Amino acid sequence: MNIEHFLTNASPSWMQHESESDIVISTRIRLARNIANTRFPISFTEEEAQVVEEKMMKVLLSTDVNPYQFSYFQIKDMPVLQRQILVEKHLISPNLARRKKIGSFFLTKDESISILVNEEDHIRIQSLTQGMNLKEAFKEARTIDRYLSKSINYAYEDRYGYLTSCPTNVGTGLRASVMLHLPALTMTKQMNALIQMMTRLGMVVRGIYGEGSENLGNIYQISNQITLGKSEETILHELQEVVEQVIQKEQLARKNLLMRAPSILEDRLSRALGTLKFAKILPSEEAASCLSNVRLGVSLGLLEPISQRKLNECMLLMQPGLIQQYIGTTLQPAERDMYRAKLLQDKLNEQDEAINNGEKGEDFL
Amino acid sequence: MICEHCKQRHANVTVTQVHNGQKVERHYCEVCATQFHPFQFDVSEEPTSLQQLISNWFNFVPVNAKKESTTKQTTNPKACPSCGFTYRQFLKQGKFGCGQCYETFSEQLPQLLERIQAGTQHVGYEKNAPSKEKVEQQINELRTLLHQAIAEERFEDAASIRDEVRELENKIKQEGEGNA
Repeated sequence: MNIEHFLTNASPSWMQHESESDIVISTRIRLARNIANTRFPISFTEEEAQVVEEKMMKVLLSTDVNPYQFSYFQIKDMPVLQRQILVEKHLISPNLARRKKIGSFFLTKDESISILVNEEDHIRIQSLTQGMNLKEAFKEARTIDRYLSKSINYAYEDRYGYLTSCPTNVGTGLRASVMLHLPALTMTKQMNALIQMMTRLGMVVRGIYGEGSENLGNIYQISNQITLGKSEETILHELQEVVEQVIQKEQLARKNLLMRAPSILEDRLSRALGTLKFAKILPSEEAASCLSNVRLGVSLGLLEPISQRKLNECMLLMQPGLIQQYIGTTLQPAERDMYRAKLLQDKLNEQDEAINNGEKGEDFL
Repeated sequence: MICEHCKQRHANVTVTQVHNGQKVERHYCEVCATQFHPFQFDVSEEPTSLQQLISNWFNFVPVNAKKESTTKQTTNPKACPSCGFTYRQFLKQGKFGCGQCYETFSEQLPQLLERIQAGTQHVGYEKNAPSKEKVEQQINELRTLLHQAIAEERFEDAASIRDEVRELENKIKQEGEGNA
């Protein structure tokens, strides 16, 4: 599988099911592992890095007993734009994308599993699934973990479990996260309190692009902070409980908004759709906010139906790297905003035709 | 950081505004932030990156303990024999250089881990956990012993064997759930 497959595909197969709720977008599991008696990437030499790479290639690209089909890429061969797209698709981390020399990754064809090599730790197994699916995503990652452990001697100690470069990952090495769309809680300004509550419960809340990123389009990522002193089952169970509570709160907030200010809400959500349909220049913040409102409007039945899949694809495609990939050339920020507007209109109109069966959205012309 | 508006309270709300494609970040306290955006505003709860946050966390040492620990560190900067990291270097980077650091800094580690984790003992999957068949075989052997102990009226022994069996059974169940 060449890299183009992963760059041009805006709707990988793991994203293609229609989920019942618009609140939970996706679930991600990450396992951090290191190889015994080898220094961590922060202090190792290029030779040591090479040894790690070779070990991983041997295990993951061999064909005799290997149940997986991975494609392998080295980060140093990649142009900046390609790296950016892979980060936007959550296939690699920003940290890996910034590397000049060391670092590589393995991807399965459906993009549901990626393995990062020589990032902060030697090995990071990542499994992505759609909707709320902690158990299944964990099972995927765990299966690969066991497969790797047959031929790789992990750095492990009875007391501290799996050893990692950062002590915030030591123990299980497990970071489970759920991506949530929480427009009503954001609008009613309940997120502050909620984030504080979740922090006290040992959860971390972040924006859409992971560490250090701001909340774009009312999308939050909730993940476990603690990796040591709790078992994998407990960690997953606790996260599940917290997320379920947040979903309930969001649903309640939506109900209240609909009850207290139905016309203001409908006006605002309709305006968002109007902006997406007719704006000629759309900066990413505005596009994300409009898409969030449209998503909410569709979910509440206030707007014409648009499939989750289409909206997810729009959310992904509106990012700077993917727009440039889609258009096929590098663009200045101002140009990007113009193409973003055009691209989103094309996408949304495509949908109209499919749903209205030929009556091409007369209401909107 | 102090709120840019009232210049009194602590700023914990970051408002990102986009003017003509130029991104401007403003830092307000909760009270002032609501004044500026009565209906909608984007709250970014984490103006600092997680990395920074963690690093600050590690560095947090109670005031009275600070003096002591700094003098100790300067007189005895213990370096990891495998990667050469000192504890100070770890604090600065927030990362260990190698697996052996966990042993090298075993004195300071429990204190640190207690603050950022749920304990200092791993309770998740074990790396070299025996296979399910092996554990089942072990359980069967213990059961035979248990019956023997009961027959011979050694009830204290029987109770401890029973506990052992339960523990092993739980282990199988746990692993089973993880793979189910």
